Amino acid sequence: MILILFIIAIFVLLAGTIFPLITASLDRKFIRTTSLSFIIVSSILLGIFSFINLISGESVLFTVYQPIKLFSLSFEIDRLSSFFLLLTSIVSACVAIYFTEYIEHMDGNSRRNLLCSSTCLFILAMVLVIASANTLSFFLFWELMAASSFLLVTYEYTREETKKAGIFYFIMTQLSSLFVLLGIIILFVITNSFAFLHLATSSVPLVTIAFLALFTGFSIKAGIIPFHKWLPYAHPASPSPISALMSGVMLKVAVYGLVRFLLDVFTPDVSWGVLILIAGTVSAVLGIIYALKEHDVKMMLAYSSIENIGVIFIGIGLSIIFTASNLPLLATISLLGALFHSLNHAIFKSLLFLTAGSVVSATNTRDIEHMGGLAHRMPVTSAFFFVGAVSIAALPPLNGFASELLIFIAFFTSVAVVNPLFKVLLFISIALFALTSALSASCFVKAFGSIFLAMPRSPESTDAHEVPSAMLIGPGILAAACILLGVFALQIFTVVGFAVPLPDMLFVSILLVGMAVFTYLVLYFTASHEVRVSETWGCGLLSQKASAEYSGHGFSEPLDVIFSAIYRTRIKNERKFFDQKSCLFKEGSGEIRLLKVFEEYLYHPIAKYSMKGARFVARFQNGCLDTYLLYVFVAVIALIIFLGWFA
Amino acid sequence: MIDTAIVIGIIRILFVCIIITAAYIISTRNLLSVVSVYALQSLTLVAIAISLFSLEGSIVLLEIALVTFFSKVIIIPYFIATIQEKIRIKRDIEFHYLNPTSSLLLSMVLMLVIYMALSKIVPETPAHNSLFLFGAVLGISLMLMGMMVTFSRKRAITKVLGFLSMENGVLLFGMFVTELPFIIEFLIIIDLIILVILTAVLSVGIDSTLEDYHKRLHQFHLLKDSEEN
Repeated sequence: MILILFIIAIFVLLAGTIFPLITASLDRKFIRTTSLSFIIVSSILLGIFSFINLISGESVLFTVYQPIKLFSLSFEIDRLSSFFLLLTSIVSACVAIYFTEYIEHMDGNSRRNLLCSSTCLFILAMVLVIASANTLSFFLFWELMAASSFLLVTYEYTREETKKAGIFYFIMTQLSSLFVLLGIIILFVITNSFAFLHLATSSVPLVTIAFLALFTGFSIKAGIIPFHKWLPYAHPASPSPISALMSGVMLKVAVYGLVRFLLDVFTPDVSWGVLILIAGTVSAVLGIIYALKEHDVKMMLAYSSIENIGVIFIGIGLSIIFTASNLPLLATISLLGALFHSLNHAIFKSLLFLTAGSVVSATNTRDIEHMGGLAHRMPVTSAFFFVGAVSIAALPPLNGFASELLIFIAFFTSVAVVNPLFKVLLFISIALFALTSALSASCFVKAFGSIFLAMPRSPESTDAHEVPSAMLIGPGILAAACILLGVFALQIFTVVGFAVPLPDMLFVSILLVGMAVFTYLVLYFTASHEVRVSETWGCGLLSQKASAEYSGHGFSEPLDVIFSAIYRTRIKNERKFFDQKSCLFKEGSGEIRLLKVFEEYLYHPIAKYSMKGARFVARFQNGCLDTYLLYVFVAVIALIIFLGWFA
Repeated sequence: MIDTAIVIGIIRILFVCIIITAAYIISTRNLLSVVSVYALQSLTLVAIAISLFSLEGSIVLLEIALVTFFSKVIIIPYFIATIQEKIRIKRDIEFHYLNPTSSLLLSMVLMLVIYMALSKIVPETPAHNSLFLFGAVLGISLMLMGMMVTFSRKRAITKVLGFLSMENGVLLFGMFVTELPFIIEFLIIIDLIILVILTAVLSVGIDSTLEDYHKRLHQFHLLKDSEEN
């Protein structure tokens, strides 16, 4: 019965896609608002549907279209899909509310209608990927998701930066699709079916290859290091609400894909768990280390997404290791931790992207060194950003803390039980994970401090104003969700039907609030109330300028020194001379920049060799008729030889 | 009627003639004689067709002989000879990939390979049928030798002759082995290519190599030169 909600939601999204296309030539606000309202309505319907489904735990299966016996376009929504649908609907609704106002401040006139349309299509594709009941329809919608997200990334296609990011994103996303398709084809070869059939064994090499292909495909989409490079390019290039959707939901769809295949299809081998755990740990640590160094707020958030996806993968990897080590309870806890962190990351990361979007549109810059002082000028936005920052830094009692704590608990309780080799691995992993949490706290202290505190460091931030109310409602809901999911974490798990060893966060938060109130009261009654008016000592300078402030750069300097081995720099000197013997100096340029390790040692060589290969192949097409006749000749001879000896 | 053994002997002799003419077409640089050798080759085919008719009595063979005689022995050679007189090119000195000597050597190897391949494909048959095996081998070899001419010579006119010689190969093959959809289909494609070239070359000037012809098209603005724009 509740299935009707899902179907209506799909049709509403479809209408939201088509409506702006029909009226594509009209540059009217109501068209865009209507289209985005379709997203809000369908998200609410989907939210209700998935919530009911999640609580009841029922699985809904229906087939839409079956052209041939092997393939059908069918959907199945079980608890796992419901969970991810819920996540999608919450984020989509808030982003759509925010977008109604944000889009009116964008360039592009009637092209913005197409942006609305592609956003609807993007959300539709993600919903259908999650709901797919077989691998082939999963892939179809996966590809639709890739294509529509490409349209969204390249919206501002006239900018050079966006063009580069678009092509980069397109190649990476197609690579991801390629690997997913490869995995699906191998699975088809093994099972002769496109359904999510459970394979009882993992020892067959073909099954391992299928897993590796799918893992690579999902890792590229999720932004696991070393496949992460598209994130820091695509996020700054695309509009902020799109970044919120991509980082909040699309990365989770990749996580969903991995979890779905691991749970429903494979019987994971312990080595797969180790692989996922290592990939997750490396991504988490390197992601946050790179984020620390970034001064572009959206790039920083992109790197922080890599970190959080790393954390989610750590949870998934742990769950597989525990399942293989016959520790089902710990496996459940770590998987729940990973899934809960997916939900939390979707919420706080979209919150951060939306508020960052507000800040960027108010100050016209993405460089946090040029912001500052926005807490007075944009108080509500800064409060929401603060909530997001506290959540992502995993401070109690917000949701980021709850989910990371679950994974930590799984780590802690495991140490005494598994075999020594894994013990070492888990120790290293937990140490790095703890480091990640600390670094992410410092990263967001830096971000919040540089963006909102102190004095404005540019005329734009001096003139910044609070954004309109629609751009506050969306982030507001997300901020409330951050708090609620954190404070009522234990209760939520109880309602859903899982007993987890979490502390009662409600109690913790009451305790924390009580302590804060108590401290305030003590200070209030004990401190002197005398007001002293004087000038702050300014190090002997006559007037205080914003440029003399403690900057974000300065804040992260100690960490830069500690991790200087990772932040390798490349020094480039170029000199030109008037004469050939290099005596008379003409001009020169010098540059010290951060070494882009993965780009320079992995992406560029691969690109270079594929270009080389392509050029080699291209030589066969030389435009000369004689050559083509020669090919035909050789082909005929080869055919004759084949017929004579091999047929 | 003539004795079967004698007819078979004649056909064998004609086979040798075909090989000689094919080898001549492949190796000679003298353009004028290529046409007459081609006419000779076609005439040999006519003779083979008639001999086969006397062996089997099938009217189709006679028809083939008739058509071949008029088209390939008289009309086409006459047409090409006329063009040759006009363009006054006597010798072919430009080659691609293979020079005449190496094409000759290669064609010998090819014949051997095809013989071995076909004798594996066609099951062992009585003596009478070994003639048919030879016919098939020769047909394919002639076709491939013609193809070698088409891609190794630069002059358009020699390419055309190579192609015509290929068609002779197909005819020979068709006479001895019936039903061969693949090769026929395959040749039709090449047929089209050559036809296009033929008409184009004839309209612009046949004395050119294909590269020259391309330049001329640019010169006459028949093709838009993208490099210039």
